[in-house]
Amino acid sequence: MASPEPCLVRLETFEGPLDLLLHLIKKNEINIYDIPIAIITEQYLEYLNMMRELNIEIAGDYLVMAAELGLIKSRMLLPKPEPEKEEEEDPRAELVRRLVEYQRYKDAAERLVNFEILERDVFARVGQDKEEQKNQTIKADLWSLIEAFREVCRRMDSSWTDIIRFALETITLDDKIRELISKLRECRTVLFDELFNGSASRFDIVITFLAVLELIKAGVLGAFQDSPYAPIQIVYMGEGVIKDH
Amino acid sequence: MEQNYIKKAIECIILVSEKPVSSKELIEVFPDLDKEELKRCLDELIYEWNELSRGFKLYEVAGGYQFRTLSDYSEIIIKFKQSKPFRLSRAALEVLAIIAYRQPITRIEIDQIRGVDSSGVIGLLLDKRLIEMRGRKEVIGRPFLYGTTEEFLQTFGLKSLKDLPTLKELEEIQKSMEESAKVY
Repeated sequence: MASPEPCLVRLETFEGPLDLLLHLIKKNEINIYDIPIAIITEQYLEYLNMMRELNIEIAGDYLVMAAELGLIKSRMLLPKPEPEKEEEEDPRAELVRRLVEYQRYKDAAERLVNFEILERDVFARVGQDKEEQKNQTIKADLWSLIEAFREVCRRMDSSWTDIIRFALETITLDDKIRELISKLRECRTVLFDELFNGSASRFDIVITFLAVLELIKAGVLGAFQDSPYAPIQIVYMGEGVIKDH
Repeated sequence: MEQNYIKKAIECIILVSEKPVSSKELIEVFPDLDKEELKRCLDELIYEWNELSRGFKLYEVAGGYQFRTLSDYSEIIIKFKQSKPFRLSRAALEVLAIIAYRQPITRIEIDQIRGVDSSGVIGLLLDKRLIEMRGRKEVIGRPFLYGTTEEFLQTFGLKSLKDLPTLKELEEIQKSMEESAKVY
């Protein structure tokens, strides 16, 4: 059936040099235990050139393999040493071992994808919380938290540039943790920025932030955002994990 | 308690649970029941639900029991839930397979097998909770070790890791590769 659509050339993407080599071996219908290194090396380099022409960045791993192929090729060309040493190992042996090993896991991966996969082929009851989290929020990572914290600090700094305080700081990290737990237990969700609204000093901000990090680490609080760079919400997750606070 | 009552109670527990229910959890609810009796109840339940040939069945997954829909209805359920079906990239599947069969394993060992850096993919699998850190390997640099999680078993519907198909033997791979190679 002739199609009016223009011919599309799909460039296969490879997961790495081994994947590309396996592709070339299959394409050329080569026995993996008797790879004609010269031909494969040539095709491999052609492929790299094509990638270069298409402005695809070539990962260093591909170049390392190119060098390895070159080395094997030259070793194959060397005259065989005197037969005093029995059974000189084939220069290709190590590469073949790696290719076969990799092929093994590629096969395993292919089989995995054909399983009856949950949330693709089969479905089960899903907890309410899980469903909501999945649809609406993503977990904020440490860097987002630090970024948000820097923002809080910046705002604070500009609001009291010339006030110098000599108050004795008496609040401890444990106090703050306790305070946060009771606050979050009540209101469940709070915006990260709001946690610092009552903070009177830089010390207070820092200790609040440390307390938040401690509680997230302990699993009592969670940090979520609707999308990357969205405001971070601090959510109360429950205290099943720690008892001593 | 009467046998029939217990069986129905068990299926109720499984129905309302959001995770596969293990025999251990069930024994806690029915302390008088011994292990063999419980196993028999569960086997019967699996058999009976299967016989009914409804849209869902009782399955044994991740060391527990769970009702799951049959794959015949996946499209309709996805349409109803307006959800994105579970998907992993080829790279992610490769790394997951390597970790599943070789756990606990370090990132460097995974990289060596694949011939390419896998750190991004490992981060993604950690995020999806399909793998977890399993401590550190006591070698220079003390790299992290990774292993699969219970969620991995749930996702792929495996009873346990023993349920994974055995890796193809090297000879088998050789054969399959030779088959694809034309004999001159």
